[in-house]
Amino acid sequence: MVMKDMDDKEKMQELIDKLKEVIKTKDNEIVGHLDKIDALEKEIMKLQKIIPGEASKIKIKREKPEDIFDPDSASAIIIKDLVKKFDDITAVNGINLEIKKGELFGLLGPNGAGKTTTINMLVGLLNPTGGTAIVGGYDVKRDLSKIKEMIGVCPQKAAVYKFLKGRENVELFGNLFEMDKNVLKERADRFFEASGLKEASNRKAKGYSGGMIRQLNLIIALINDPEIVFLDEPTVGMDPRARRKTWTFIGDLKQQDKTIVLTTHYIEEAEALCDRVGIIDYGELIALGSPKELMQKHDAKNLEEVFMKITGRRILEGV
Amino acid sequence: MMQRVLALVKMELLKLIREPANLFLNLLFPAILTLVFGLAFGGLGGGDSSLFDTMAPGLFAYACIFLIMTVSMSFTDDRENGLLKRINVTPTTSTQFIGSHIITNLFIAVLQLIIVFLLSLLMGFRPNVDVLGVIMAFIFMLFLSLCSVGLGLITATIAKSAGAATGISFVFILPQMFFGTFLPLTETTRVIAAFLPSYYVTEAITTIFNGVSPFAVEILMQLGIIALMSIVIVILGVFLFKKYGKV
Repeated sequence: MVMKDMDDKEKMQELIDKLKEVIKTKDNEIVGHLDKIDALEKEIMKLQKIIPGEASKIKIKREKPEDIFDPDSASAIIIKDLVKKFDDITAVNGINLEIKKGELFGLLGPNGAGKTTTINMLVGLLNPTGGTAIVGGYDVKRDLSKIKEMIGVCPQKAAVYKFLKGRENVELFGNLFEMDKNVLKERADRFFEASGLKEASNRKAKGYSGGMIRQLNLIIALINDPEIVFLDEPTVGMDPRARRKTWTFIGDLKQQDKTIVLTTHYIEEAEALCDRVGIIDYGELIALGSPKELMQKHDAKNLEEVFMKITGRRILEGV
Repeated sequence: MMQRVLALVKMELLKLIREPANLFLNLLFPAILTLVFGLAFGGLGGGDSSLFDTMAPGLFAYACIFLIMTVSMSFTDDRENGLLKRINVTPTTSTQFIGSHIITNLFIAVLQLIIVFLLSLLMGFRPNVDVLGVIMAFIFMLFLSLCSVGLGLITATIAKSAGAATGISFVFILPQMFFGTFLPLTETTRVIAAFLPSYYVTEAITTIFNGVSPFAVEILMQLGIIALMSIVIVILGVFLFKKYGKV
């Protein structure tokens, strides 16, 4: 009997230690996100039955998204222990990150590092395997419809209807956001003018060059005047001139206090545009800071050198 | 909500007009088929009616069956080009998206029926039917096109590309073509036909065009069967596509 009690107490201690690793514990109060609590509650209840004296001291407080995200908070995006697994492959492995409102944040990493998977979870295209993320105050696991109303997504692979004219593409997506017709027209005109696609806007996208398609791809992402913009490799395939024009475009968005999450392979693009960058490799966030901070920390002349030092070392170390 | 659905319907209709393959399969193919059958079988047969007269109701169903191919191609094509993902990050719900496809395809089915009906009349088809009968025939065709949308969604769930969708859609098209339209049925094929939506539609339209009241018990029973079939197939198609269709 004594042995059994010992076993149970050890089990409880083990459980509390486990809980401490994944969620906040304050004295005997367990505070955590709903899903995590749900997953562990059965175990806690089982222990409460076995050793009521000890385990009943544990109180469970379910933390709602509002508790994680303070509406007055300076954060537009909060990522907590975000995990995505595809069968045996862990594409994103416990990322924690906060992106401030109005910040232009760059997500860098080699091919297959987990950048697009992270973005896909933030915009609701993929369900996280573990952890959660709060976008604009809403939980990606519960409030996707609210999130979708406030975001703009520019996908890596340009997705436009080729049989539609440039303007028709933009109008279609503006209507999917239920925009007012006059506002939609005014914004479309402004974007076509700024991107140099004004004349081409009345031609079918089928006849567009690769660069023009990418620009149209970007205009569609911004037409609903989103508060938070996800730009996944927006300048891939653009010539240097179009890329510079797009940089100006993105810079203007920042002036309008939009929160921008940018993934890119062009390190100089991140260095020129981003307030802060996060470097992801093998699904983990391995560096975070402003380009200047990272350069100082890693004693590098530019961000590319930082990138090569960090990701290259991990390759050599076989991480 | 309506703004989203209307925008998607407009886009799908523009796809019909501007994509040659869609235009051919949906509108030109049924028209050409009706003309060819009219020319080939219009003069054959004995008595008051020609062979074409007995084939015409099957031709209406024939046109609608091909919606399976165009719907599945449209979904897989949009998926391959990342457009389903793009729509999925807007506030558009899957009900609004699939609903817009259903509305568009019902509209196309009506267009097909008008074309086939008028061309059939031009080729000498003289149905013994009043306005109510024609309306009832339209209703049957709308249910059949609903079945085709559902089967198109099931095809798009299985198919990984638009090319594969074309091939796989024949699994649903061929049996309906051979056992559910104008070919005479044996005892064995009639058993197979009992599971095919086009069989009930062709049987009902043939009966209506032979002068039987559109509100006769057998017609209403067939209407009930095809309505039930279309609801089950569409629900199954939407469920499978949402669960396994990989946006």
